[in-house]
Amino acid sequence: MKTDSLKLRRVLAITSVIFLFALAISPAKNYFREYRSIQEHFRKLGTSRARSLKEAQAYQNHPVAINQIWMRDFDNRVDRCTTCHQGVSDATMAKAPEPHRQHPSTAHTPSDIERMGCTSCHNGEGLATVRADAHGTTADSASPLTPLVNIEAGCGRCHTTDVVPQAALLSRGRALITKAGCYACHSVRGHEQFRSEAPPLNSIAVKTGGEWVRQWLKDPRAMDPNSTMPNFQLEPQQIEELANYLFSRPVKLELAAAIAAASAEAPGDAVNGKKVFSESRCISCHTVEGKGNGSAPELSKVASMASRGWLLAFIRDPHAFSPETRMPRYHFSDSESRDLVAYFESEFKDFGAPEGILNPLHVNQTLAEKGAKAFRSLGCFSCHDPGQGTIKEKFGPDLNGLGDKRAASLDFGRRIDLNRTLAAWTTAKLSDPRSFSAGLKMPTYGFKGDDTRAIVTALLSLGSQPVPEAFHPSPGGTPTPIPGGAIGKLVQQYRCLSCHQIGTQGGDISTAPLTFEGSKVKRDWLVNYLMVSFTIRPILEERMPIFRIPRDEAEKLADAMTSFYVNPAIPEDPFAGRPASDQNAAEGQRLFVSNGCRACHIVGASGGYYGPPLTDASSRLKPGWTFKWLKGPQAWRADVRCPNYGFTDTDALRLTAYLETLRATSAQKPSGGKK
Amino acid sequence: MNTPSLDSLGLWLRGTSVYRSIVRHGSTETNRNRSLIVFENLFLHVHPVKVREKTLRFKHTYWLGGITIVCLVVLVATGVPLMFYYHPSVPQAYQDMKELKYVVDNGIFLRNLHRWGAHLMVFGAFLHMLRVFYHGAYQPPRQFNWVVGVFLLVLTLFLSYTGYLLPWDQLAFWGVSVGTNMAREAPVIGDKLRFFLLGGNAVSENALLRFYVLHCVVLPVVLFMFLGVHIWRIRKDGGVKGPSEDAPDVFHEDEP
Repeated sequence: MKTDSLKLRRVLAITSVIFLFALAISPAKNYFREYRSIQEHFRKLGTSRARSLKEAQAYQNHPVAINQIWMRDFDNRVDRCTTCHQGVSDATMAKAPEPHRQHPSTAHTPSDIERMGCTSCHNGEGLATVRADAHGTTADSASPLTPLVNIEAGCGRCHTTDVVPQAALLSRGRALITKAGCYACHSVRGHEQFRSEAPPLNSIAVKTGGEWVRQWLKDPRAMDPNSTMPNFQLEPQQIEELANYLFSRPVKLELAAAIAAASAEAPGDAVNGKKVFSESRCISCHTVEGKGNGSAPELSKVASMASRGWLLAFIRDPHAFSPETRMPRYHFSDSESRDLVAYFESEFKDFGAPEGILNPLHVNQTLAEKGAKAFRSLGCFSCHDPGQGTIKEKFGPDLNGLGDKRAASLDFGRRIDLNRTLAAWTTAKLSDPRSFSAGLKMPTYGFKGDDTRAIVTALLSLGSQPVPEAFHPSPGGTPTPIPGGAIGKLVQQYRCLSCHQIGTQGGDISTAPLTFEGSKVKRDWLVNYLMVSFTIRPILEERMPIFRIPRDEAEKLADAMTSFYVNPAIPEDPFAGRPASDQNAAEGQRLFVSNGCRACHIVGASGGYYGPPLTDASSRLKPGWTFKWLKGPQAWRADVRCPNYGFTDTDALRLTAYLETLRATSAQKPSGGKK
Repeated sequence: MNTPSLDSLGLWLRGTSVYRSIVRHGSTETNRNRSLIVFENLFLHVHPVKVREKTLRFKHTYWLGGITIVCLVVLVATGVPLMFYYHPSVPQAYQDMKELKYVVDNGIFLRNLHRWGAHLMVFGAFLHMLRVFYHGAYQPPRQFNWVVGVFLLVLTLFLSYTGYLLPWDQLAFWGVSVGTNMAREAPVIGDKLRFFLLGGNAVSENALLRFYVLHCVVLPVVLFMFLGVHIWRIRKDGGVKGPSEDAPDVFHEDEP
């Protein structure tokens, strides 16, 4: 029995020692945590890079500890990223190896680091002090780090406008999303009112032929490279059903009448039509064999796409056919539009097209009924609103909060080749949406390379959290309103916003925003320009079309511009209250030459083609605008290439005075139309 | 040189009143003295004065009850520090779990000790009951202690279940959803019972608070009361019943 007791004691002794060692494991692991060695390394690196003994000592005395940033504006979140990334705002650590490197300078760094922390832009788990958790490298991480190639997604979390200065990729992505019409099927906060530009298909039976519709449905881009309609990869059977359905739809009565009347008209003169076509600068939006802006359909085969009557009726009143189109309504005379269509029919034909491509289709009711179902189940109605009332629910999934989805919650389906990350999933969804599984409905847009990256960036910016209150845009930034009434109708008719921007609205074809047009140009010049517009910057390919605006309309528009679209910061008379020497035009001319303005601007007979010619500057520009522009051109448009010379008020005024003396002789006056 | 001075130091130490109030009966290794030590000590007096070596052998009881009690001690020892770092509130609870990993020294060790200790306690309690059952130790005179043991098992399970909600993750949420829905199926009082457990009709912050209070205060207190009775009854009933005693139990005063 004594031996038993001894044995028990021995067991107790041995297990106690083992237990003691086991207990020591945890404190040891605690002591050897990753961040401690990183901070140790940072200390050594800092000491070796220090420029003075005092600096070196500061690095030496830096305590080993968990560092954190308290983000009061972000729901009192805490970011501990700086525990390892100790050099983020340390100039000594420029170009140091990660994780010690200094953060590159951006709009918010280093000024806002203490306020915005790290995860507000980069995502990631701010609380974590373990690398894998902080960077969210596992598929079920709640907040993985945004890949650096998409880092501008972080900007978009707070900056919800379409254009974000200094975030070119994000802005491009958002523009592409709008252009591709993603908002028609997917709901995204702030874009609930989006309407697709796609034609409403209310006159298709009298517009085109059955064969053309078949070919279009098979692959729209093959028929028109500028088409925004994606490829739905339809089966031949589906194509037949849809075509029958489209031709079975009733044609809107007024449209049918207009088309019938137009097709009965006598043919026009193609030679004059060609002149009208180039004078009107259709290719500022359209293309002909790829030449032109490309934001509107390719025209080189247009006569094989639509019947003569339809073309004629459409050119006369595009807005009756398609209320959302960006095409302006021109003031063509009846014979001019006839000539235009005659020109189309003589040259813009698909000579390789099958015989009878425009022959109407004889509707088979059974197929048409099946087609009606397909029209619904494929979601065609999202873009081609059949006019059966507004769409209550979006066809595709809600995209809000996409940027905060866990990779583990995504359906990768057949794509076992992909990395299990949100960015990889979104990229694959964009470039090949049908590859995930059978029966998916999203069509193929064929986005490529940088476009995909831009769109992914814009999509990742759709966070699930609302923008923190402290970062809401200030009420001062409200968009400039578009006037209603008669002026509003004119702006609508000529679709000014298809090309120009006013405030935050409008297209991107023109480089001249109209937001402060009234402070910029003189009224009389504007009236003449609206009636017969000409090239302002010779280097640009896109020219303002000549709408043939009658004088009274031009005057109304110019008056509206001069009264609505002004900036109170731009003085009417910049010379008021300044000494007379500031009006020294000769000195201004010297400055003009010595600063090399001629490299871009034409004055008289010579000069560069990049900027607008200044030969007639005084009849176009208001001196107040010229003065403010010279003080800082980028204040008006961020991408302006005109350098900011940092002129003093006196120098800027002298230059303005010089430009005020520039007036064209009648021979130098630019004239409308391409010769 | 040193030896005499050490001896005198020892002598002085044994003379102090602090030493004498801790070691009251000296270190004489006689049975009488040992009995005195056990009798007169609050912490030791629940133990029998004398234990047969046979009952301490591993094969006899597998120490299953003892293991369960040691688990309980570990759980209390780790649970109290965990309470320092935990807020029973919806926005904080899950973050606090993560904080244990990210900033609390040895936090993950604490939490894992508590978690695995809890698993082992449930497991140990079950095996302990099986052992008791197969040894027929639920028969008189131990039938009362068997019932106390059943209560202890139920309390252990409740503790384990209430602790399961506290991390406030998906497992916890659905675990408690399913559990309280089962409670609702109870006849007559089902709906009321569920409402009472959750402090509402859904698993929400009220449920979290209730489960927290149950887990940290109510259930442990009740458990300790039952445990006291349990151990006291073991002594009263004549200690552990061994496997070989097929005949109806005979009261052995000297057996633990």
